[in-house]
Formats: sequence, C-alpha cells, structure tokens
Amino acid sequence: MSETLGLLVGVALTIVVVGAGAYLVGVIDAAIAQVVAGEALEWNRTLAAPVRGAAFLLLQERTTTERPDAPLWAIAPALLAGLAATALALVPLGPSGAVAEVEAGIVAFGALGALVMVAVYFHGWAPNSVLPLIGGYRFVALALSYEMPLALVLIAAALPAQSLRLSAIVASQAELWNVLRQPLGLPLYLIAGLGLAFRGPLAFPDAADLAGGTRAEASGAALLLWQTARSAMLVAVAAIGATVFLGGWLGPWLPGPAWLAVKTLVLLVPLVAADHLLARVRLERFVVIAWVVLIPLALVDVFLSGVLLL
Amino acid sequence: MAGAGTGVGVRRVLAGLAGRAPARVFVVAGRDARESVQGLRLDPRLEFVDSPRAAAILLVVGDLPEPLLAAGLALHDSMPRPRATVWWIPASGGPKRSDFPGALVVRAGEDVAAAISRTQAALLLGRRASEPDLLPDTDPAPWRGVGPYGQGGTGMTGGVPYGRPLAERAPDRDGLELDQLPVGVGPFFPPFPPGFVLEAKLQGDVIQAAALGENAFARTEPRGDTMAAVSGPFARALTQPVLITELELARARHHLAWLGHALRVQGLGALGRRAWRLASGISPVRAQEVRVFSRMLEATRSLGWATASVGVIDTALLAQMAPGPVTRAAGSARDAREEDPAYIALGFESVVQPDGDARARWRQRVDEALQSLQLAGQAGERLSTPVGKIESPRGTLTDAVSPAAELLDLVPALVTGMEWGDAMTTIVSLDLDLEEAAGRPVPAA
Repeated sequence: MSETLGLLVGVALTIVVVGAGAYLVGVIDAAIAQVVAGEALEWNRTLAAPVRGAAFLLLQERTTTERPDAPLWAIAPALLAGLAATALALVPLGPSGAVAEVEAGIVAFGALGALVMVAVYFHGWAPNSVLPLIGGYRFVALALSYEMPLALVLIAAALPAQSLRLSAIVASQAELWNVLRQPLGLPLYLIAGLGLAFRGPLAFPDAADLAGGTRAEASGAALLLWQTARSAMLVAVAAIGATVFLGGWLGPWLPGPAWLAVKTLVLLVPLVAADHLLARVRLERFVVIAWVVLIPLALVDVFLSGVLLL
Repeated sequence: MAGAGTGVGVRRVLAGLAGRAPARVFVVAGRDARESVQGLRLDPRLEFVDSPRAAAILLVVGDLPEPLLAAGLALHDSMPRPRATVWWIPASGGPKRSDFPGALVVRAGEDVAAAISRTQAALLLGRRASEPDLLPDTDPAPWRGVGPYGQGGTGMTGGVPYGRPLAERAPDRDGLELDQLPVGVGPFFPPFPPGFVLEAKLQGDVIQAAALGENAFARTEPRGDTMAAVSGPFARALTQPVLITELELARARHHLAWLGHALRVQGLGALGRRAWRLASGISPVRAQEVRVFSRMLEATRSLGWATASVGVIDTALLAQMAPGPVTRAAGSARDAREEDPAYIALGFESVVQPDGDARARWRQRVDEALQSLQLAGQAGERLSTPVGKIESPRGTLTDAVSPAAELLDLVPALVTGMEWGDAMTTIVSLDLDLEEAAGRPVPAA
C-alpha cells in the first residue's frame, strides 16, 4: 500500500517538476531575449508570458494536414514528454535517492537520449509535410554525433564512483566535484546536452530556417505539449549535469533538493542563453567537429579518469 | 450541466490569460508592403510567427497579385481556429476586391497593431466568430494513379497522383540510388522575401536540383521601369539631386533591417530585434551603437561558423554582375558613388571584403552601414549628383540594369548541391527582392 502511495507521490512530483521546469525555462528565455535585444526588462510580462502563451495554445484548435500519420503525430510529443519526465525522475534529490532509483541510472539516461531521436523523427515524419520532414531528417543525421560524446563523458563520471547508480556518483563527489576532477567532462556534456534538447546551435529539427521544422504544422494543445516536453528535456539535461558534475544535492546549510535546484539553475541559464547568442552551426560541419574533436576528447576524458583511479 | 459550466469557466479564465498575450500574427505581404511591415516588427503587442499554424491573425498587407492571392487563401485555411484576417492597406484607398470576406480592413493612418491586438482578444473571448474556410476542402486535382500499386508512375515511384508529385529515384552525392522528393517552398515562407518560390528536388536535406517559381509581381502588372519598385529615395536620386544624408541613412537602415532578418533566420531572433531597433532609430550619432553591435556579433563566433565559406559565387559570374554589396563582398571595389563628384568631395572610398561568402556579405553590409552613417554625418546639406546611375542598397541601378533581378538569377545554380540550412543562409545573404526584380526593364518590342 505504502509502495503504491510512494509511486503516486513520485509521479505527481515528476509531473509538477516537468510543468514548473518548462515554466522556468520560459521565464529565463523571455528574460534573456529581452536583454539580448537591448530592451528594458519587464518582469511582470516576463513572468506571465509562459502562462499566457500556454493559455493561448489551449484555446487553439489542433489542426491536421493532408493524410498525416495520425497515431505517430499524437505519440511524438507524449513520447518526448515521457522521456523528459523519466530523465527528471532519475535525478537523486537527496541522500534518500531519486523518484526512480535505478541501479544503472546513468545508463538509463543515455538510453533515453537515444529514444529522443525516435520522438523527434516521428514528429517530423507524421505531418506528411515538407518542412517537418526535413527537420526529422536533420535530427537523424545529427543524433549519433552528440550521443557518442554524451555516453562517453557519462561513463567517465561513473568511473570514480565505481557504480552506474546516480546516487553513488553524487556520493563519490563528496571530496571533489567531477567538474574539477574531469575538466573535459562538463563542457562536452553541455554541448551534447544542447543536442539532446535540440536547442541553440544544435536546434536543427525545429529551426527557424525551416519555419519551426518538426513543429511547423503543429498547433494547439499538441504544440503546447511538444514545447513543454522540449523545455523539460533541457531542465533534465541541466539536472543530470548538476548531479554528475556539480555534486548534485551535496552542500552545506541548505537542504539537498535546494542545492540541486541552485546547481541546476546554474547550468540552465547558459543552456537557455545559447539559444539567443550562438547561431545554429552547419550540420555537416558539426558532424565533422563531433567525430574529429568531441569524440576523441571524450575518449581522452575516459582514459584520464581511468588513469587517475590507478 | 455542472461539467459544462466548469468548462465555460475554465475557458473564460484561459481566454482572460491568453487575451493579454501578444497577438500571434502571420504576414502575407503583397505589393509595396515591405516597409510598412518592417515598421510593425518591434511592436510589443504583436508576435510574428513563422508558421500559419501558430497564428491567430492573418495579416494581409496591400494588394496581392493573383498567384499570391491563391497562396494567401490556402494559408488562411491552414490556420487553426479561432482565426481572423486583418487586411491592412497602408497606402490610401481600400481593398480592390473582397477576397477575404470576413477580414477587418485597416486603412492608412489607423493603428494597425491595436486593431490586430483587439481582434485576437475578441476572438479568444468568443466575441468575434472564427472565420470559416475560404477554399473548398477538396483534393487539388483528380486521382490520376496509373501504376500497378495505384501510384502515378510506372514503377514504385514517380508521377503526380492528386496533383502531388511523388518521390522519384536518383543518384545521391555518394552515388547511391535514393528517393528524390520534388517540393515547392514559398511564396510566403518567412526566410524568403515575399513572393519567392523555390522549386527544389530534395534528397534528405540536400537540394539536388533547384529552379525559381514564377515571380508573381512580374506577371500581374509588368512595370516597364526599374525604379518604381525600388524603395526609399534611391529611384529619385537617379534623376534629381537628393540630400546625401537622406540617401546614406536610408542605406544604413536597409542594411540593418536586412541584418535583423538574417539573424532571425539563423535562429537569433533577439539579436535580430536589436538590429531592427538600430535600424528604426538610425542616425549618425548612433554609429557607436552599431559598432558595438557588430563587435558583439563577431564575438559570438558561431555566426561565422554558420556562414563562412557558404554560397561563394563563381568569379566569372561576379565579373558580369552590376556592382553592389554582393560583388564588393567578393573583393571587387566598384561602387557607383565613386563617380559622383559630391561623394568624391567627401573622400568616399568603397569598402570591400575578400572572401566572397555569406559571412563576407553580412560583414560587408555592416561595414557599409557604418560607412553610410559616417557619410551622413559629414555630408551636411550636400546633394548627390545625378550621373545616370545610383548605388542602391542592392547594387548599382541604371535605367537598364536591375541588380535585384541579377541576384535572383544566381539562386538556382548557387543552392544546387547544398544542404537546406546552407541554401537558406545563401538565399538570405543575397538580399533578394521580387518586386524590385520584377521591375526588370522590358526589352523594346
């Protein structure tokens, strides 16, 4: 009985975090956009903007296209939201662990990353329309190039903990955070994380040069769910990054979850700012950079982490 | 009953919240609409969206030539409900036809942003009915399948059943036989200038073949003279002296407005707004702000990554083209202002970039904008000298040559073989304009 209750509380907590995370990303995004545009920061509007935008989409009809793949179109945003929620559930909130305390949590996160490609490709394929389809193609071409460094830096972070459990990785950072122990890890992780949440320089599938790409034909509640899921995925990237590289919930004075929130925010702000300051890189060029620079650096990261343990 | 009551209550709360959001607008710009639309870009009451699916308001500006009208009606019907059309006539007069029957008509001198904002709020609160479809919901062409699987061609692929071309097989860049999809993009695709249609054959995101669609502005009302479609004071300056300050400020404004658009297509909408803000308040004393902005763009190097070595034009082609920012970005120093005694007196020397790629073009336009601000500051009351040609923001105009038309003709060969993103970067970097290109001189019969 108590197990069921715990499960329900965990699910409710995760849903709240997904919603609150998406709201937070919306607020940070609106604030940074105003600063970058050289406009006066209007806090009232900034704080209300995500809620007003969501209300607008909830009142909007969900349109369809000519002969879409309706089941896949319905599944895609739900799948992405589910993946983001699962990733958030893996994050240890304190010494007692995560909502979903998984033996190989870090592997689970890597596996989720691979499924993001499926969600994005569904979302591009299903509307039976040119621009979303190109967006889908682009993501498939991109995915392996960010997933490889992502997997490698996560493995390197698991080495000092001698465990794939995220709680153990947090505990292993009690003396020294991984961001210092493995200086290559966090920068590589953040680049790969932008790919996973397809934002900023790696916003290929939903890019402005495709008039929104995979979301170009989406409207109403389906579009709201897609945007929420995409924002929640970015929060998940920041939260896992804080856990793996910044010591997660560890810290004096404040309770564990508060430290986790602060550290997540520290990573979230630059990830959101990348959207407004860094242009989308060229797909072909990124693939070359990934294989020639990022993946070898990630291998060096794994190697050095191993050597330090000897 | 209680459920229905709650539903209405929830709806009212949502409408109250959504009604205070900026109005989401998709623009369909017709003739002479560019400058008017640019003036609305920074209005906080409006949010310009890239897809009609994300909009509640279709903003039709000016009159639409026939082929663009058909596209505009189709875009209207693809918008989700609740939706409404605002038809803005920035010049005097009213709409010539009633193609958008339910549209709210806003005339010159009225506050169009306020009208749009009010219309969206009324739509969301249910005080204004959503517009019905304007076109019948039928297949665009009858079924013409002929193959054994009901497809249009003889094999598994090809043909145009229902008027839609199917994918065909063709070798890709690695020599593999892969599907090739014929697509048409435009005429109101936001990265493109209004009216621009790209007919492309795509393999994945690679453009294997490209052609330009018809220029709608050329079809309906062929303009014999090149000049009528050239915006700003430049057409006037061809025949009469004009204040150099006026010319140069218009040039700087044009280039910064272009930069805002280019940044937006690169996914940098906020930086684009900054460029538009500089463009709207342009003045010689604000040169320092433009310089700071330019340094900021150079500092975020990835704009360079996105544009470096993209869209380099063949040197033989460049040599035949009218001079302009695009040729100067490839190292050719020609500039019509060098022949104007008034500019010579100001010590004018053309600026150039060596590389000839898309990055060189945006740097060139920023440099020319800065140079224009400097000239505008020095010129005082000096007037230009009509010498039979004038350096417009798109290049050297004469009675016989329209640089806009030359730039348009470059597109198919340039984008063939490019990935989609590079093709968009290239097309934007040319600063195309269909209306100006339609002013191509008509050969004497």
